[in-house]
Amino acid sequence: MSVVKRPEGKANWYLPGILTGMMITIKHMIFNLTHRKQMITIQYPEERYPYSDRFKGNHILTVKKDGSLRCTACMLCATYCPAECISITAAEHDDPSVEKYPISYEIDILRCVFCGLCEEACPVDAIRMGPEHQTAAIAGENFIYDINKLAYRSGLKGGVQSKVDDEERHSRGL
Amino acid sequence: MPKLTIDGKPVEVAAGTSVIKAAQTLNIPIAHYCWHEGLSVAGACRMCMVEIEKNPKLQIACNTPVAEGMVVHTNNDKVKDAVKWALDFHLINHPLDCPICDQAGECKLQDYYMNYGLYSPEMNQRKVKKSKAMSLGDRVVLDQERCILCSRCVRFTTEVSKTHELGIFNRGDRCELSTFEGRPLNNNYSLNTVDICPVGALTSKDFRFKQRVWFLKDFETLCNGCSTGCNVTVSYNQNGVFRVRPRVNQEVNGFWMCDEGRDIYKHTNKEFRLDQVIERNDQVGGAAVKGKPVALAIQEIGKSLSATVKKGGLESIALVVTAQYTVEEYEALFELFKNTVKSPHVYYWKNNEEDFDSFDGLLNRGDKNPNTKGLSDTMTKFGFKGTWEDFEKQATSKSFQYVVVAGPEDQSAYPDLEKKLEILNKAGEVIWLSSCKNEKFKNFKWQIPMKSFLEKEGTFVNFKGIKQNIKAGMSIIPTSLSLQEFSKGVFESMGGMA
Repeated sequence: MSVVKRPEGKANWYLPGILTGMMITIKHMIFNLTHRKQMITIQYPEERYPYSDRFKGNHILTVKKDGSLRCTACMLCATYCPAECISITAAEHDDPSVEKYPISYEIDILRCVFCGLCEEACPVDAIRMGPEHQTAAIAGENFIYDINKLAYRSGLKGGVQSKVDDEERHSRGL
Repeated sequence: MPKLTIDGKPVEVAAGTSVIKAAQTLNIPIAHYCWHEGLSVAGACRMCMVEIEKNPKLQIACNTPVAEGMVVHTNNDKVKDAVKWALDFHLINHPLDCPICDQAGECKLQDYYMNYGLYSPEMNQRKVKKSKAMSLGDRVVLDQERCILCSRCVRFTTEVSKTHELGIFNRGDRCELSTFEGRPLNNNYSLNTVDICPVGALTSKDFRFKQRVWFLKDFETLCNGCSTGCNVTVSYNQNGVFRVRPRVNQEVNGFWMCDEGRDIYKHTNKEFRLDQVIERNDQVGGAAVKGKPVALAIQEIGKSLSATVKKGGLESIALVVTAQYTVEEYEALFELFKNTVKSPHVYYWKNNEEDFDSFDGLLNRGDKNPNTKGLSDTMTKFGFKGTWEDFEKQATSKSFQYVVVAGPEDQSAYPDLEKKLEILNKAGEVIWLSSCKNEKFKNFKWQIPMKSFLEKEGTFVNFKGIKQNIKAGMSIIPTSLSLQEFSKGVFESMGGMA
């Protein structure tokens, strides 16, 4: 049987505990005043804490060099998704080298559990999970992210380019 | 009959049977691309290698006839290695565009790679590029890069449809499948080539990119497109029905079905269906009243029918039936008319009479109803003999109070629908039972939603007299009725009058 030994002497007295606590607070205050750049408190929402690029936040659909969507509508992400929050409608592209592309790609972000399986399933690096993590919105429909939001939202500055390039693969004879 | 042993299991088959067929009777799978039971043997893919004892080299199972005392091994290391290498060569120039390939999920290249392959590719050369997404005709798209040149489709157009559109051109790795100049693949059986294609080279324009196959569920039923009654598999999911493929039945359709029959699912999907009761209300100037509960509507119909019967107008109710319902449904409806309504006015509405008896020599018949024979048999059983001509004569000489019409499920098979609707409209108040909606029905007193052939059970009798069952595989319009349910409802609300 384990017995917890309580700090008897200090706990019986009121003042030493208060002073110890104050000492810690004052120590931090002096440190923050002298090292303002390392201060952890920020003025949210004016200031925001930058998350690492590896953070699994809001999804990004990547684009090709010409700015069109990289996604080929293979539906592997929708198949893998444990929350079943991805719905894709595929269509035939005029260009026979593209063939299939999504005319609608929607993620119900309220259903999403941010597990990252979609990005793992994607064979062409078309979907990634980015560092954005604030998903607040006012109306319900704003929680269903469409192609415009996923690929071309203002924070992405015209779209994130995919690492997989078909033309390059073809020129290498793959 | 020679006796042989395959993988230690003894089997006795007819002389001249190939080893692959003998293995099939034992349910031993042998990898193959080019061999198809309904086509001649090509021996082109070299995948069905088996080891036959006392034979120095491996043999192809599809073209080796069985012999007395043969000992065959289909699954030892030597065979597995041979299949692995055959697969490796098939995949040398394969574009690996599975993400955008419709065949992915039911592709034999994927299946055999998982069963026999699982190697890292050892080829260092550039892949040969060919044409992609070529349109071969109205219904089929070809991707030459994915083609493994098994020649199944070529043999199909030579041996089964006998239209000779497809051929394999050039040699070596520049070998490609294509159509001849100015002769597109437009025969009425072209989509069978898509079914038998073991890879994604031939895909259907209709199904292309609509769904991934792993999102679909299958159930087995019959085609209701014509009186042949081909056995089919229907693929569907929560969004509706997506495709219809033939199922093997040597007695009826063999391995194939026609392209026309592939479209039978289209009128069953939600957007074309009558999904609620529509009543013409004369008190508000003939405006349509929608959404009355089906049970209530049936009750009202039953009451008005029984009122008519009581008024002494025993013969003022007529029934017009099309041959698109099951035998069981006819029986229930005829029972109602014979014993409860007691009207002898039962008429058979025959469609497209000009080409009713035509036949294309393979499967497709001019009679676009699945159950013409079933209907005529049931009518004879109940002693009804009326035809549409009789109905027209009767309707001109005197007018009926009510005309109950078991209307066509597939309206496209009724080219003179509009003309006949006018006659029906003049004949009396129409109670229209149908699964499909149409603006032209707006003058009818009642429109009651019926089940399509995918939602009900029953028997179809084909032109030969073969009885086959359809199954209730799915529910598309939950409020719709079968004719049995309709008859039962009307019978009960008529007070079960005898």
